[in-house]
Amino acid sequence: MIDCREAVARMWTYLSRDLEAHDTMELEQHLRICQRCCGELEFSRELRKTLADAGEQPMPPQTRARVDELLRETETRGGV
Amino acid sequence: MQTIVQAVAVRNEEAAAPTGRRDTFTQLVEPHLDALYGYCASLTDQAADADDLLQDTLLRGLRAHDDLRDKDRVRSWLFTIATNAWRDRHRARGRKLPTMSLDASTDDDDDFSLFNTLAVEDPFPYSDELHLDFLRLFRSADVHAVFRGMTPVHRPALILTTIHGFSCKEAAAILDVPLGTLLSRLHRGRKQLERGLWDYALRNRLVKVADDD
Repeated sequence: MIDCREAVARMWTYLSRDLEAHDTMELEQHLRICQRCCGELEFSRELRKTLADAGEQPMPPQTRARVDELLRETETRGGV
Repeated sequence: MQTIVQAVAVRNEEAAAPTGRRDTFTQLVEPHLDALYGYCASLTDQAADADDLLQDTLLRGLRAHDDLRDKDRVRSWLFTIATNAWRDRHRARGRKLPTMSLDASTDDDDDFSLFNTLAVEDPFPYSDELHLDFLRLFRSADVHAVFRGMTPVHRPALILTTIHGFSCKEAAAILDVPLGTLLSRLHRGRKQLERGLWDYALRNRLVKVADDD
């Protein structure tokens, strides 16, 4: 049986569905008996959501305009 | 200084590209531009740096996209180019990204638990959703300020997997490191982030704890 420290260490890999099957089984066994780690897992899920939401940044109009100009230029000169 | 458009024009003339090649590049990158900009913004400290990194990435992609064999991998291909461009910019400024020594070392962050700290310090004593209330304090700009406080080498692993949805294996390939190194950086980055969020909240008086003045 893994301890809380090991369970916490595996949580983010578990949430991104990257944890190996055996490691997943051990973590889920631990979660069945550890209320604290269930709380930490839920907190980890919400924290990752906070990060994901913050990462969705619209491109500023000036940047978009420069990129459009760059891509337009490539089409004009290298395309048809 | 040569503008981006001038650079592309020179490049196109040099390359004498086959008809349609540039159109293909535009079609390839267009669906990924917003995410790519978000990645550049997460890696850099200033908006102007994010702009430059994005354009550097597109220029590198333009030069190399004939080498892209599998068009379905264009997203990870672009993120790989952006990562390499970001790394090169650090090197050019004489600020090589610390890697081995940091991955091998231990520090206080490794033992820090934001979940436990919130439970012990209890900054919202009347809340039924203590941990969620803490996260609700953070606007996008606050999260990015915390990102900027992280050791640069730990940022991409965290950002690629949590924000952009890459698997750990995909992120390891983008960063060109073994999976074990990626997992180690992800763990350390996560702990650094947890510590960073707590310190940021205290420093900016988003929370008040018992022994706070």
